[in-house]
Amino acid sequence: MAVLNKKKSKVSDEIPTSSMADIAFLLLIFFLVTTTFPKDKGLAVVLPEPGETAEVSQKNILHLIIQPSGIIEVKRGENQQIQQMRPSEIEGLWRQEVTANPNLIAAVKTHPDAAYEHMMNVLDALHTANAERISLQILEN
Amino acid sequence: MSMKGGGFERQSKTSSEVPTSSLADIAFLLLIFFMVTTVFQADRDRPIEWPEAEAAEKIDEKTKNILNIWMQRDGQIFINDQPVPMEDVSAIVAPLYADSDRALVISIRGDREVPYLYMDLVQQELVSAGVVRVVFAAQLEQSMQRERR
Repeated sequence: MAVLNKKKSKVSDEIPTSSMADIAFLLLIFFLVTTTFPKDKGLAVVLPEPGETAEVSQKNILHLIIQPSGIIEVKRGENQQIQQMRPSEIEGLWRQEVTANPNLIAAVKTHPDAAYEHMMNVLDALHTANAERISLQILEN
Repeated sequence: MSMKGGGFERQSKTSSEVPTSSLADIAFLLLIFFMVTTVFQADRDRPIEWPEAEAAEKIDEKTKNILNIWMQRDGQIFINDQPVPMEDVSAIVAPLYADSDRALVISIRGDREVPYLYMDLVQQELVSAGVVRVVFAAQLEQSMQRERR
């Protein structure tokens, strides 16, 4: 080989692209492995079986009547006295009431024109307060 | 261009290396192909405003056993991208429920502003279809937001 033909510098002036493939495949495999599909979140309820009705003593019912404005009217069983509350107060109310009466059932009655959001706020508060016996109804006149 | 070689060129221009530069292109192509073709849900998201709930929990069921019922603000119902009249919900859900060996979970994805009247009608339809497990889908609410409410 002719001495003159030898390059003076052996450093390549190209970007080393041969490892790019490794990086790309690594990324590909990384994302394939780590991808988790987002699971749906929500408030779970159990609907009654068709035709299933249960007679409950009035004194074990806590009526939560949701008005279209989002205000909640709280009525305790036979007591006709109505107490107005905001959704944020329901959690504390339930904890207080259920300690006094462990058999208490929350009867959530929503006005037909009330936004779904208001009902969700109340259901959320009840779930947060670990309420298990919840009845969802629509407010009839 | 610099003339580092002093103007001299190699005799053979054929490289003795395997051309690996195009491998990156192939890999990225695959990457983009998988990113584009990945389908997350059978039905597409409808434009609804989600209700928020602090106590929202993950639905503990396989994805194939979850049926989404979308309800728009005007009360229009969509099941698997198809608009469904209210009175047909029971007839559509009942066979799906039977096929799933009563494991089907209904996820009701309602707009937060939908009047409760429609929600009650859907629940009645689901009860008559024999469905027991229902989830009111919601976004997880941060407790900071809750304070302001």
